[in-house]
Amino acid sequence: MGLVPGLGGASVIRSDRAATGLVSLFSFAILAVFFLIPLAFMVVVSFYKPDPMGFYQVAFSWENYAKYFSSFYLNVTLRSLWSAGVSAVLVVVLAFFAVLAIVDLSRRWQLFWAVLLLSLMCISEVIVGFSWLILLSESAGIPRLLEVLGLWDDPRSLSPSFGAMLIGLVTLGISIVMLILLPEAANRDRSIEEAAQTLGTPPLRVVFNITLPIFAPTLLALTLTMFIYLIGVFVMPTMLGRPSDWTMTVMISDKALGDANLPLGAALAVAMLIITVVVMLLSTMVSRRRLL
Amino acid sequence: MLVKSIKTIAGAAVVLVLGCGSAMAQTLTVSAWGGFFEETLAAEIYPGFTEETGIEVKSIAQPEDSAWMTQLMAAARAKKAPADLSLVVDEVLIRGNEVGLWAGLDPANMAGAKALKDGYIKQNDEGKAYGVGALAFYTTFVTNTDYSAEAPASWMDLWETKWDNKLGIVTTPNSGLLEVTAKTFFGGYEVMESREGLEKVIAKIAELKPQVSLWYRDEGQFQQALEAGELNAGLYYHDVAMLSIWDGKPIASTFPKEGGIVSDAYWVVPRDSKNVDAAEKFLDYMSRPETQALMARKLGVFPIVPREAMDLTDEEFASVGSDLEPIRVQTHVHLREGDWLESKYQEMIAR
Repeated sequence: MGLVPGLGGASVIRSDRAATGLVSLFSFAILAVFFLIPLAFMVVVSFYKPDPMGFYQVAFSWENYAKYFSSFYLNVTLRSLWSAGVSAVLVVVLAFFAVLAIVDLSRRWQLFWAVLLLSLMCISEVIVGFSWLILLSESAGIPRLLEVLGLWDDPRSLSPSFGAMLIGLVTLGISIVMLILLPEAANRDRSIEEAAQTLGTPPLRVVFNITLPIFAPTLLALTLTMFIYLIGVFVMPTMLGRPSDWTMTVMISDKALGDANLPLGAALAVAMLIITVVVMLLSTMVSRRRLL
Repeated sequence: MLVKSIKTIAGAAVVLVLGCGSAMAQTLTVSAWGGFFEETLAAEIYPGFTEETGIEVKSIAQPEDSAWMTQLMAAARAKKAPADLSLVVDEVLIRGNEVGLWAGLDPANMAGAKALKDGYIKQNDEGKAYGVGALAFYTTFVTNTDYSAEAPASWMDLWETKWDNKLGIVTTPNSGLLEVTAKTFFGGYEVMESREGLEKVIAKIAELKPQVSLWYRDEGQFQQALEAGELNAGLYYHDVAMLSIWDGKPIASTFPKEGGIVSDAYWVVPRDSKNVDAAEKFLDYMSRPETQALMARKLGVFPIVPREAMDLTDEEFASVGSDLEPIRVQTHVHLREGDWLESKYQEMIAR
């Protein structure tokens, strides 16, 4: 850290190490202040009692967790896992094939796509949600276009629906995944693919039998990341989904903000956190065994 | 030289701080629901008060009721008042009073408040007022006239299948829909006194589910969808609907024969406010029949002074409310069953 390179010697290495230690201590402190302490506070509050007249009462009670184990919240949990899972897989599959196509384009077009994807990432969730709301609406969107083209006699709004919500979630995640995959796909070693092609393997089989297995670990990691990211999205389910698609995030904000029941909101959040971590650990274990 | 200029700057700073201080004493911070409501109050209603008393009003926007309640409570713990006066619905008024959030005001200092209808000055045991009526607002049956030319006669029409799966309804249980259902199908509010009764009412509301395409939290989303024809009908605030109508949008706001849903809003002074005297003057001004009539004209809200006391024409009166016996949100039920009711209602919607 800030030392003249090439001096060498044990003392330099030692002070170097001390500096590195200092930096990691600093980042740990930041993490503790902005992440661990709020998390600990959430866990503590989840045991408090809600006070209908006020805010909450300091107590130790399992009551909030007991409420979580009702058929309703378990159902919502399953539905959250399902929608995040389906959209994560969709995002990664679509992004993977799109990226394979992009890296075969000329340098200029590759740059165009990279810039486009970066700018997509700058758009807020709310704007993405509203854009889809309008695009799927019967008076101004795709249904209306189909009617004008004579393809749909009685156009109906396509949102709110599960499909609309999935479209919203996929739009949110896809630019991130594509940007991560782009450099890796562009710089990949193509010798095996080329060898297979020279020996007469059809291009599609090359992709499925050679490129896909090479990328499998990356794609799996990306799917898990997307799963975690998309399970916490609030805007898309409320804006584009039906009430029967609302995820745990929606319920948590309803309880914590709408009903001012912070303890139940906190308990639901803690339960969801635990379940997400368990699902992630399980899927990593299963996939590792399979990949090895 | 340097010392001298530092002294000058310090002196100027002291003057500035003192100046601000004395100006602050003459400023009243008033919060109201953000958006059109707060903007219109600031532009049309408060200037008259400033003209009369010389007290400047700083108008700020407050979020939706329970979120605001949470903020007020957090501020009270820090012994701060985010505003000197705040507009709240009766549920928040009662909950806040229960935990001692509001300052006590002296009714003798608010002569104007005598004009209010009975029951709008909420007093505690010591005779101090913790809430003074501000206004009332109606929630009605709104329709898009391009799709439904005829105004609905009864709330029962909401349950008909003609809405083509295009109803928009509020997601929270205190929207008044529970009371509408109780009065329309169960002969009155008594059914809401027991949990079994409430479950029956909720089950009746659940029959609407196939028709409802939007359970809304955000008013803006509902209004935009109704104006565009994405929705054909729903429950909405009468005052905002009237603004759309005056704007030429194809919308009608109807008081069905069972009545519109009326909700009361009150002014409260958070406990830690330092401007109680000025706040009392403000409430004196806001309660007068002239101010109430002005609010009806500019905001479309329903006045809470007797009609004879105001100079509103029949037409003006008809545009802000109706003579029908209104449907009243049963606040005591919502306070008593709060958590249970909210969970049941949410489960009915999201199941």
